[in-house]
Amino acid sequence: MDIHVDKDACVGCGLCVKDCPMHVYELQDSVSVAVRPNNCMGCLSCHEICPAQALEHRGIYAARRHYIDIKVCEMLRKVV
Amino acid sequence: MSAGYIDELHEAFHSDLVYRSEEIPLECSPKPKEMEQTLHGVMKLNGLVIRSLEEIAGRGANAVTYRAGKKFGHEVAKYFQKREDVEGALHELSDLLRGQYSFEVWKPEDKETFIIEENGETFIYLVFHDCIVRQTLRRNGLDQGGPLCQTLFGYVVGAIEEITGRKAKLEIVHTGPNACLKKLVLK
Repeated sequence: MDIHVDKDACVGCGLCVKDCPMHVYELQDSVSVAVRPNNCMGCLSCHEICPAQALEHRGIYAARRHYIDIKVCEMLRKVV
Repeated sequence: MSAGYIDELHEAFHSDLVYRSEEIPLECSPKPKEMEQTLHGVMKLNGLVIRSLEEIAGRGANAVTYRAGKKFGHEVAKYFQKREDVEGALHELSDLLRGQYSFEVWKPEDKETFIIEENGETFIYLVFHDCIVRQTLRRNGLDQGGPLCQTLFGYVVGAIEEITGRKAKLEIVHTGPNACLKKLVLK
């Protein structure tokens, strides 16, 4: 697993550090650093919780997403 | 109600198809893409049932759904090959859950084996990737780890018990939008 933290975007809130049960992240100089990327099981709750959207995971298995309402997404795409 | 509308309805539900009861269907009808609305309908309904159950039964809802899942797990797994080894049982379980759930056996990097012994208990970490329960909860904006998750817990425990003949327990360690970490405790 390759985890990239955008140092410029990270606000150092430490939410990912608190949230991850496998202690993948640590705060170093007020920036989150993925110190144990091999412990990541790819739940992506850190993505959901990060207020700065500073995280990027590579080589991850993306779970099937049935819950997406395609009609709503099509409408949103027109707006966003 | 106008006659025109009734005629329109009749026409919509009329075809020249010859249906014979002995014919065994070999594919779903309609095509999966056309099933999207049905799937969303089922997910919404499940979400509402669970939400209402939680409102009425409170914490007791977990026990009800766990029991239901466990019964289902025992029921389904009784037709599968009995295995004594946990690895084989998980393989059977993986086949059993195919299409609805996918999981892998997982371990933190500091552990040497997948079967972990810690604080007097033996357990295996399972990472659930594809999960119809998670999809349903997220579709309805419900929290993960509640009564609907208990049905999956019960299902896995029931199936493992049925396949191995050993008592088991499943604990939730962490939930996420893409995967959930669970601990299968073997007794």
